[in-house]
Amino acid sequence: MKLSPFFHRIKAFRLGDCVLILLSMLLVIWLYTYLWHHAPAKHVSIIQGNTVVGHYSLNQTRDIHVKGALGESVIQIVNGRARFLKSPCTNQYCVHQGWLSRAGQAAICLPNALILQLSGASLAFDTLSY
Amino acid sequence: MPRKSLFVVCLLLGVVAFLIYQSRQTEPIYHTQSYVFGTLVDVTIYGETEAHAIEVSDEIVQDFQRLHQTLHAWKINKASTNASAEKHDAIDTQHTHESQSASLVAINASFAAAANEVPISNEMAFILQDVQRLSTQSQGLFNPAIGHLIAAWGFQRDTFTPVVAKPEVIASLRKAQPQMADIDINQINKTVLSRNSAVKLDLGGYAKGYALDLAFNHLKKANVQHALINIGGNIIALGQHGKKPWRVGIQHPRQPNAIATVMLPSGWAIGTSGDYQRYFMQDGKRYCHMINPNTGYPVQHTQAVTVLVPPQPVHKSQAGVLSDVASKPIFIAEAKQKPGLAQAMQVRDYMIIDAKGDVSISPTFAKKLNWLNPNEAFTILSSH
Repeated sequence: MKLSPFFHRIKAFRLGDCVLILLSMLLVIWLYTYLWHHAPAKHVSIIQGNTVVGHYSLNQTRDIHVKGALGESVIQIVNGRARFLKSPCTNQYCVHQGWLSRAGQAAICLPNALILQLSGASLAFDTLSY
Repeated sequence: MPRKSLFVVCLLLGVVAFLIYQSRQTEPIYHTQSYVFGTLVDVTIYGETEAHAIEVSDEIVQDFQRLHQTLHAWKINKASTNASAEKHDAIDTQHTHESQSASLVAINASFAAAANEVPISNEMAFILQDVQRLSTQSQGLFNPAIGHLIAAWGFQRDTFTPVVAKPEVIASLRKAQPQMADIDINQINKTVLSRNSAVKLDLGGYAKGYALDLAFNHLKKANVQHALINIGGNIIALGQHGKKPWRVGIQHPRQPNAIATVMLPSGWAIGTSGDYQRYFMQDGKRYCHMINPNTGYPVQHTQAVTVLVPPQPVHKSQAGVLSDVASKPIFIAEAKQKPGLAQAMQVRDYMIIDAKGDVSISPTFAKKLNWLNPNEAFTILSSH
């Protein structure tokens, strides 16, 4: 069988291989914890084209009406979550994307050129008096 | 594959598992959010084990829910009209007469029916006494007896609908002059009665502050050293955030960001009353939930009032309560009377933002604020 040379090579599995496996595993773990944030979001930024048109706390309940390239989109914030509620676009992908609640999440409506971007706790203060 | 290599691989997996565990250990901060008192409740606990933090914050939220049941001014989850709600309340009163102490809904029903004394709990007797004292102190501007007026403006509903109250309705509710002094609290027998059937208690301006004090004491009893509690924008601090004190942002009334931040030392509380949380617009006018008991109309000369309150002596209203209550009379009073009301409420640190958006601050508070916009224009009020 042609498999035998492969098994033969496994026998040469030495300390160096172990170190390599360890390092790559560490890299995976580090990347996972560094990039895969599960922290709940605190704020939502509404971006139109290249400009941030609003930065809102998620700690409230309100609807925000924003004019995009096609017309008015409605963005809804309800206690820690945000979503596109209404959009003038034809495909409605942004509306179907549903609720965003984690820091780093985003919903993009290309036809109407609007982006919702969620961010984590602001470092300026611990809580807000409103 | 030799046994030795297998052993090394197992060892490596062990190391990897340990590293995953390690990477999960971050700042010892536990944060939880829940929805009580019709608003968002934030509990942040610093420096405790997660298990202890979860246990304590669960207890606190349960306390809040119990308090909400007793102190709520109208029946929860009832989309029906006020008239039918009152009818249900009357039935509740009979029930509670047979059992022991009445909820606020039952107390209000007995007031409306001009009934005899209602038995109340020790806690309710304490709360009503405290409210009565604070109302006198505020020269009647903090008046939780005007529940009927608040209901007439549509602010006593779970699903809020804008209502511009009819002038004749307001006039008749005002004429009846419901006030806290109409209530007799018997501290020995633990009963309450109202000499004015127009009195309907709404503790919306008190309950959150009282809950803050309750939570503060609970945290201390549970040996928690550092925590921050935020109930709908009313905040109390215990200890600090690691090596730094807790820091609180104050919401800008017309912009989606904070206007300033302030340090909140242990035992201090802060509260803001604004016209931007519960309000409706009608014919270009803003109608907010802050109603002047003297005119019967929502206040339109002020956007926001923030008060900062130090720990209070035992025999007085506590910091949480004061941070909730004191902002109301300052908000309702006309511009010239505002500093006098602050003094009457014994509040030294406060900020007022009027209808034009002009900011004025007490001299002591000015020294404590950090502006997010360094060019923010403001006036420092002359001290008394």
